[in-house]
Amino acid sequence: MELVCLGLNHKTAPVEVRERFSVGTTRLGEASQNLLEMAGTPEGVVVSTCNRTEFYLAAEDSAEALRCLEISLADKVHGHEEPFYRHEKSEAARHLCKVVSGLDSMLLGETEIFGQVKQAYHAAHAAGTTGGMLNKLFQKAFSVGKKVRTQTAIQEGTTSIGNVAVELAEKIFGHLKDSEVMVLGAGEMSRLTAQALVSRGAKSIIVANRTHDKAVELATEMKGRAVRFDDWLDVLKDVDVVISSTGAPHTIIHSHEIESVRRARKFRPLFLIDIAVPRDIEHSAGEIEEVYLYDIDALEQLAEEAKSRRVKQIEECEKIIEAELVKLIR
Amino acid sequence: MDRWFLLASTLFAAVAGVRGLLVLRHGRKSHWTVWWMIVVMICQLGYLGTRGEMRGACPLRSIAEISIFLAWSLTLFYLLVGPAFRISLLGVFTAPAVALFQGFALLPGKLDPTPAKVLNTNFWGETHSATSVLAYGSLALAAVAGVMFLVLDRQLKEHHLKGGLFRNLPPVRELLVCLERLLWLGMVLLTVGVLAGILMPHHGEDAWKHVFAAIGVWTGYVALMGTKRVRGLTGRRFALGAVLLFVLSLGVFAFV
Repeated sequence: MELVCLGLNHKTAPVEVRERFSVGTTRLGEASQNLLEMAGTPEGVVVSTCNRTEFYLAAEDSAEALRCLEISLADKVHGHEEPFYRHEKSEAARHLCKVVSGLDSMLLGETEIFGQVKQAYHAAHAAGTTGGMLNKLFQKAFSVGKKVRTQTAIQEGTTSIGNVAVELAEKIFGHLKDSEVMVLGAGEMSRLTAQALVSRGAKSIIVANRTHDKAVELATEMKGRAVRFDDWLDVLKDVDVVISSTGAPHTIIHSHEIESVRRARKFRPLFLIDIAVPRDIEHSAGEIEEVYLYDIDALEQLAEEAKSRRVKQIEECEKIIEAELVKLIR
Repeated sequence: MDRWFLLASTLFAAVAGVRGLLVLRHGRKSHWTVWWMIVVMICQLGYLGTRGEMRGACPLRSIAEISIFLAWSLTLFYLLVGPAFRISLLGVFTAPAVALFQGFALLPGKLDPTPAKVLNTNFWGETHSATSVLAYGSLALAAVAGVMFLVLDRQLKEHHLKGGLFRNLPPVRELLVCLERLLWLGMVLLTVGVLAGILMPHHGEDAWKHVFAAIGVWTGYVALMGTKRVRGLTGRRFALGAVLLFVLSLGVFAFV
């Protein structure tokens, strides 16, 4: 039996092609059964996420299996450049290990893929489309994935501005369930950052915007409340995190305004996230003892540092994969 | 025998500290620190049992014995607080302090190898010594948490967020809560210690000097906690206050 993988991902196919191959999680087992019919092989697993769809096969004749599969899929790629990549034998096993470890993901080192591949494998297993070869391969890939994540720093640090802000907020406040967040400005950046904080359990969101209707709209979306823009200073004494991203050409939050509420806040830590350009928060506000001020440059720099740290880990991850593949082949 | 227990416990504390720091440098969590500290505690109990037998009383009669008792108290509170608050890193900071206090006691001439048996013990005197040193264990651990806060605060303020230390330090708010609880616990124990100190028999002027020094330290902590509760204090000042007061109190008792 020979191992073979045919797939397409964000690097080889545009979204309009990827969506044609996308398989919902509830249909993964059925898709694996269809795969066996298309390729005429005894074993097969379909892995499908938003960025990739891959077909893993164990076949007596891998070239013939690939040919049959490609003929069956030809209609779906009609009118587009060749979107597929092919891996055979140990190369296919290596590829699966990289996928499970997040090395082939759009966001290097992301962890979600591990669960998605596991789900695909379980669905195929339940549908009876896996056998000795693919069972052994996928089990090995999961153990390699775990090893890569525990023995390297491939998943450490966050690589988007929203997530960097969340990570910092958690470093200051721990669990965010006791933290109140105020959003100044109802633009896209504010929405994304606030959403990231809400998804990690922030207690409540208060939105203030020059156009009050937009504030109400965003507040409703976030299950928070809106306040008039002129009232933001009154709210400041109660909140822990401020995300500011207005389009104002001048400073909105001044040091003296924060100074004026320090006493009322009992000098509790205050995390200010300024993602506006030009900046909304006076730079000297960061000099106030309990204030942690991060502007867009600082957040971007942190995201970049995390990305480059992850890139440096690739070699280390590949060493682990190679060592484990030797054991698998042996 | 007491010296061997002490030596072993000091070595284990030093290993816990060094190993913890090395693990931290590689960006990992020091899962073993708590186990090393349990071994430290067992050796300390061995020392206290043997030494107590030799003295026929709580071994708190010389500066070296007080220093060791303080290290034991520090270890005890770390083992009570560290795992409960999931602050394993506290151990990495605590272990060197324990090694330092015990290392001091191991200096030549500090710990009498044949201590005199205590013939007349007094309830208030014993209570004063024991609760005061226990209080200082709690206050010392609060100072350790304070140092951890100051390190994290500086890293966050200056945006220096790389390295294992930053990743493994607990959040600012958790550190401040832990610091405050340890200070309250220390304050309660210190209050009992001071009251017992007033009630115990005093022979000579020096004994009263000691009590006044204890009242002075107690007043300092009351002022810190009172200000925090009534007016509020920035984390930095609160942590700095806890560290300075502890260092000051050690200094006071070294000379009084």
